[in-house]
Amino acid sequence: MTAATDTATTDEIGSGIGGWLGYVGHTLGSMPGQYRVGLRQHRRRTIGLTILFVAIVLYPAVGHYVLADFSRNVIPIPFPDDTVSTFMAIFAIMAIGLNIVAGFAGLLDLGYVAFYAIGAYTAAFLASPHFGALGINLVFLGNVGPGAAGIHLPYWIIMIVAVVVVATFGALLGAPTLRLRGDYLAIVTLGFGEIVPLFFRNLSSVTFSLTLGPIVINIANANWTGGAQGINPIDPPFIPILNWVFDARSGPAAVYLGLFLLGVAILVARNLERSRIGRAWGALREDETAAEMMGVNTVRTKLLAFALGASFAGVAGSFQASYLGASTSDFFDFSISILVLIMVILGGIGNIWGAVLGAFALTYVDKTLLPYIGQRIGDIAPSLPNPAEYNFLIYGVILVLMMRFRPQGFLPSRQREAELSVHGLQEAEQEMGIEAEVDNISVAPPGQSEVGPGARDVEVPGEGRDL
Amino acid sequence: MDALIQVLIIGLANGLIFALVALGYTLVYGIIELINFAHGDVFMLGSMLAYFLIAPTSAGAWGIFPITADTPLPLKIGQILIVLAICMVTMATLNATIERVAYRPLRNAPKLAPLISAIGMSYVLQNIGLVWGGAYQRTIDSVFPSTNLLEPLGITTIAVTPAQVFVGAVTIPLLIALSWFVSRTRQGKAMRATAQDPDTAGLMGVDVNRTIAITFLIGGGLAGAAGVAQLLYNNYTQYQLGFRFGLNSFTAAVLGGIGNLQGAVLGALIIGEVNALSDYYLSPNWTQAIVFGVLIGILVFRPTGLLGQQLADRA
Amino acid sequence: MTMTQLPQDIKTGAMHESALLVKSRGVTKRFGGLLAVNNVDFDIPRGSIVSLIGPNGAGKTTFFNMITGFYTPTTGEISFDGIPIVQQRGKRVRSLKPHEVTALGIGRTFQNIRLFGTMSALDNVKVGINVHLKSHWWDSVIRTPGMLREERATVQECMKLLELVDLDNRAETWARNLPYGDQRRLEIARALATRPKLLLLDEPTAGMNSSETREMTSFIRRLRAELGLTVLLIEHDMRVVMNISDRVTVLDHGEVIAEGAPADVRADARVIEAYLGRGAAAEH
Repeated sequence: MTAATDTATTDEIGSGIGGWLGYVGHTLGSMPGQYRVGLRQHRRRTIGLTILFVAIVLYPAVGHYVLADFSRNVIPIPFPDDTVSTFMAIFAIMAIGLNIVAGFAGLLDLGYVAFYAIGAYTAAFLASPHFGALGINLVFLGNVGPGAAGIHLPYWIIMIVAVVVVATFGALLGAPTLRLRGDYLAIVTLGFGEIVPLFFRNLSSVTFSLTLGPIVINIANANWTGGAQGINPIDPPFIPILNWVFDARSGPAAVYLGLFLLGVAILVARNLERSRIGRAWGALREDETAAEMMGVNTVRTKLLAFALGASFAGVAGSFQASYLGASTSDFFDFSISILVLIMVILGGIGNIWGAVLGAFALTYVDKTLLPYIGQRIGDIAPSLPNPAEYNFLIYGVILVLMMRFRPQGFLPSRQREAELSVHGLQEAEQEMGIEAEVDNISVAPPGQSEVGPGARDVEVPGEGRDL
Repeated sequence: MDALIQVLIIGLANGLIFALVALGYTLVYGIIELINFAHGDVFMLGSMLAYFLIAPTSAGAWGIFPITADTPLPLKIGQILIVLAICMVTMATLNATIERVAYRPLRNAPKLAPLISAIGMSYVLQNIGLVWGGAYQRTIDSVFPSTNLLEPLGITTIAVTPAQVFVGAVTIPLLIALSWFVSRTRQGKAMRATAQDPDTAGLMGVDVNRTIAITFLIGGGLAGAAGVAQLLYNNYTQYQLGFRFGLNSFTAAVLGGIGNLQGAVLGALIIGEVNALSDYYLSPNWTQAIVFGVLIGILVFRPTGLLGQQLADRA
Repeated sequence: MTMTQLPQDIKTGAMHESALLVKSRGVTKRFGGLLAVNNVDFDIPRGSIVSLIGPNGAGKTTFFNMITGFYTPTTGEISFDGIPIVQQRGKRVRSLKPHEVTALGIGRTFQNIRLFGTMSALDNVKVGINVHLKSHWWDSVIRTPGMLREERATVQECMKLLELVDLDNRAETWARNLPYGDQRRLEIARALATRPKLLLLDEPTAGMNSSETREMTSFIRRLRAELGLTVLLIEHDMRVVMNISDRVTVLDHGEVIAEGAPADVRADARVIEAYLGRGAAAEH
């Protein structure tokens, strides 16, 4: 969907639900026409993208039934199995979310794993026997028999709850950082990223008592969060009438669900990017002071960035927990925050597709390629170190090298073609614009502001881009 | 009450070690406004190097300067001094090399690029520690006797051990030396000038690159000394040590006022006590969360720290 | 509109309240030990073009920053179009936040251009309009008809502004790839997008040659004539000041040392002394 469609070739955009349905219908209806135009004007690119799209749609099924055997017995290239493919989608969703916070709004969040964890534990709380031990039982549209212990809700409700909960935490954890500069902001988010999983690990044996007049609270050895052992089993996502279950044993079905969620995530992120809030984030990232002076409510804009960015991790986390059927605090540590950050940086910070590609690539490398290489090396020379165990050595080197040589990532951070077609400008100008953006990333921030220090007598306002 | 005092003494000893590492953070931040994420891991490698020098070959180490509780005192002191020297020089060189490779080329890049590079470097160093020392703790037998030095004074309920005195003997002279260096020598003056305004300092004839390199050398040397002290006091080392010590030391530096040397020491002592108190009265499980809480609290409510900025007054 | 045509109280010569767009009284700004602005009373009549001049460091930009809410004055009160921006109760001074001030109708440009470099010219201007848009983020996510209509209207309005500054053919160019003169005009377009009643221009002709300066001067006059704007300028180029201003206020060391019609101010001995030092009798 291009901006040309957004601004609608119809002169009237009806109001209300009818109008919205009309818009959606028109957009979908114009897609064949647009495809034909694309075929005529950018032939190679359109065909290439078509092939890629078909490959992605077919891949889970083909990969599961055909390629897996292939890779084991015929070609020495390891294809990702279903679990890895599902995790590629999960991490891609997270990368898109972190891209909103760090790429769109320019706020370096080093504690993104906290939201992932909260999302996962939301699913764990709402779809497992866990709370049965504490005497709380509620089954509503869940896929279990009546009278089952604990809370059991269907996945789509869990996802909505997870999004709301995580978004709230996003705003809460972002609030203290509002007046902080880039590096301090990063450290505070890192702190939250460590504290939250720590709570999940430690609150497995809570004992305290409190007596306030008539109110007596007596908690003895209550297991609130499952601790290191975690919470299991967690109900997988399912569709009732068709009896489809999307868990780790369901083969390509879960991969398709993951890709579907990823598609929705991409759509949401793109719509946010090309809208009032998206422009506000861009202004915030470029020059926070100037943005504020131009009427952008920077406080609200930052909180929205944290909240909306976090909610993607909520979806990813709740899906991951439901898919694996278990959730333990060991899954969630600082290295995941960094892993997602590397995905965004590799792909090209600010670019949604870059984040997706970075996530696919790094998940594949981390969960399939490196273990595979490790296995092969182990077969040949057992005394050599196994790269799968030292994966973060490689990633650390990648980070250092990327910052040194290609901080803008491998896909240029902006593609403006969609908006260009509204005004019918020439390709040449677009080329010039895009080339300039790829070369000029390592430029020092804009010159010292004459506006000076002491905005509202607090922290120094940012003088320009941090990233 | 006696338990409390004992806890405070323990906190003091660890606090002094934190102080050496915290100075590294605060010096670097003061001069180039970079949070050197990898600094804690330099400390860890110093500790690891000390282990391999001291521990016997039977434990898989090199055993070049074996020290046990039974080693006669003059030899013990001599070997400790040599190990200190080796670790300080090696870590100083390592730190300066990291600056040259990972930070200097990014001096004109967007502000967060060096920070991300530092994170990458931290992982590289951690993994070097992992390859070198393995995944599990490496322990040594106590090098110091566990006598209570307060016994001759008739105090039996509170203990001060020779190990703790050793920590003080290593850290305090270094702190004094650093303070003298920064305030009295030409190079120290150059450091302060560069921290205030690198461009003008350069125009006034200060070799900014060299000054920054020397800052990293000093920071690395302090981290190396801290690593030796850590090993000989706590009797263990492990590849993940850097993260925990790094967190504590960085919080200490911020608490005292980033860029402020006295502040770093003061902050470190406070954080040492916070650690000891939390470990004893709550549980080690929560200590990290509490230290992070302190860090977040300072950054949000009083970013200039207790003693405020001193080394760099750049707005 | 010149000063003599604005409603004046016959007895005192003071401006009638409603004729004043900006009214500030007793505004002081202290930065620690530095007194940047000292007890300034400053009014801007509606529909006028006022210049604020003075040697470097006189406090002009600091005053700008206080009108726009970026700094909170140490003392004083400022009101805009009858609405208080800065209020003092006892010792406490409260100021609106900059984005709230912008929403009321004050737009500004910067001395050193502060465009959003990696956003297109059109996007830069669109940011200016943000404050007046009504779409929420959820409207954006599902693309409601209201949001789409608003986006379309936004594009139209912003393109009109780009046409006004003659940049409509560079709408998609990244701001930082534009030549200097274009960037200055883009900043003005962006400020105009905030639909201001008062436009603050901080050294709009800095770095321009005389023909560009002439263009800018007539452009500012057009802004008042066609858009009904009130304009407050900080300017160093005396030809522009003399040419365009209805009224000139001179600051030196944070204090108002002269105020009035351009010709009167130019001849004022204190002004000459402030700029050129004692003993200088020459015209600027």
